[in-house]
Amino acid sequence: MRNLLGKSGPKIVILVTSVFFLLPLLAMTRFAFQNVGVFDLSWSKAFDKWTFDIVSKPFEDQYFTDSLYLSFKIAIGTAALTLGLLIPTAIWVHLRVPKARVLIEFMTVLPYVIPAIALVAGIVVIKPHARWFLNSDLSLIPFYTVLALPFTYRAIDSGLRALELRTLVDASRNLGAGWIRTMLKVIVPNLRSAIISATFLTVAVALGEFTIANVLLKRTFPPFINEYRMREPRAGYALAVLSLLFTIFIFGLLSVALRSPSAKSHQNSTKSREMS
Amino acid sequence: MTSISFRGIRKTFGSTVALEALDLDLRPGELVSLLGPSGCGKTTALRIAAGFEIPDTGIVSLGDNDITRTPAHRRNMGMVFQSYSLFPNLTVAQNVDFGLRNRKVEKATRNSRVGEMLELVQLGELGKRYPHQLSGGQQQRVALARALAVQPEVLLLDEPLSALDAKVRSTLRDEIRRIQSELKTTTLFVTHDQDEALAISDRIGVMSNGRLEQLGTPEDVYLRPASPFVARFVGSINELPNINGAGKILVRPEDVTISANEHELTMRGTITRVTFQGPVTIISVRIDMNDQLVNVHAASGSIHTQVGDRVSLAVTPGRGIVEAA
Repeated sequence: MRNLLGKSGPKIVILVTSVFFLLPLLAMTRFAFQNVGVFDLSWSKAFDKWTFDIVSKPFEDQYFTDSLYLSFKIAIGTAALTLGLLIPTAIWVHLRVPKARVLIEFMTVLPYVIPAIALVAGIVVIKPHARWFLNSDLSLIPFYTVLALPFTYRAIDSGLRALELRTLVDASRNLGAGWIRTMLKVIVPNLRSAIISATFLTVAVALGEFTIANVLLKRTFPPFINEYRMREPRAGYALAVLSLLFTIFIFGLLSVALRSPSAKSHQNSTKSREMS
Repeated sequence: MTSISFRGIRKTFGSTVALEALDLDLRPGELVSLLGPSGCGKTTALRIAAGFEIPDTGIVSLGDNDITRTPAHRRNMGMVFQSYSLFPNLTVAQNVDFGLRNRKVEKATRNSRVGEMLELVQLGELGKRYPHQLSGGQQQRVALARALAVQPEVLLLDEPLSALDAKVRSTLRDEIRRIQSELKTTTLFVTHDQDEALAISDRIGVMSNGRLEQLGTPEDVYLRPASPFVARFVGSINELPNINGAGKILVRPEDVTISANEHELTMRGTITRVTFQGPVTIISVRIDMNDQLVNVHAASGSIHTQVGDRVSLAVTPGRGIVEAA
């Protein structure tokens, strides 16, 4: 009995979790793309009147492109700021003050603990003194950088832990490379997976964040979806489904991008060894 | 060929003294090993030579130049590390080329130097492989080729063999010696393995607690240890009571004479174990005077004894050192 549970236990967990996540998504998709009244969305009509015409509707809205463009701008800025700050900091902590790692880890987890609404309440308090900054749409970048920290720091940190960082740095310097060349030619290429993960995670946070943007009255993509959904419920949900598919696409790209040239050749060499 | 010298080097990490008054000169083309237990300061000395650490006091000179505060990337030194240090994102050839690129060497010269170095370490065919496609021994050979490609004034080897299995270790050890003799590169080799140090060094510096206990040829260090620490650390040692005075005599197993006649020599005892090891038989004797166990190396077949036999022992005249009580 215990053996049976041990074997099928993980499968049951995966099944229940999948149902938990997929059922609402399925309901949302049917609501958006089936031209059937809400009360008629029964299982018997699961394949009736599917239409994707509704997809084009949000694109006609004048704020769609603007909000999406703004969100992308903020996402790119957030990724740049995150990597620019995190990589040197994480390397410095690993090499020079390894004892501070616990403190830094604790600090990076804080955005998990402190809800975005608390952060935004603080921002509102300082708003009268920093209008010059907060009036700009790009002022969201530092806040999103902070929000993404729990994910991004961990990605970079685990990338560094997987390297023989001290030895690689010493070897590079011993071979005549200064700090900048060591960073660019030795550390960053070997942190490729970690950097790509951190970048995509940052972009996902920046493209999906609603609370701060909404309270600070920035018309990024999530507030646009929310507002549009109120005006056009079916098209709004269609847009939500599309943005979800886009995120899944991004993560698909991530997994492809993570297959570095050396990893590919590693796989090839393993395959050829297995074949021979 | 360049000399390197350490003068009055002291280095502390917090309250720990890693090096104390280190004076050491490496002559041009010489291979000197720093030998000692973990924490004795040997790696710190090497890292100071490489420029990764700055001494609190003292001077490091390369030839006539004071390089104590010269940054690591401006010293022309090659280093092979204990852990595998090849850049995982670069191929073998690109790894060897790395230092040459940093020195802005012309492409044609670089290519031929990379080829030469890979041939030197007998890995000419593997230039396009990535480090993870190589064995540990091959990786260390590439690391050696990479360190030598820049024609360093001093080669620094930080326990480069310790991560390898015994067979590869001994092959690569001989190869390091061959290449070093061929290129005549002044080399500082750090190890905790006495066999390694004895096998490949021109001179050995034995270190303990941040101090250089003895600097001498392998024969000096083994046959004429300057202190009880050196005697104990290099080779195996017996501690015998000093019949002529206070303290103990520290003596090598091969410097103890054994006789099957219980009354012939000065110390008597009982054989507790006989271990045949091919050319040598190790005979363990518990001596009556202080109930201590003494190992004697006898040429196999020279004496016929078995466990429980009574024998007598004596120290070969002129051998062993006295340790005061």
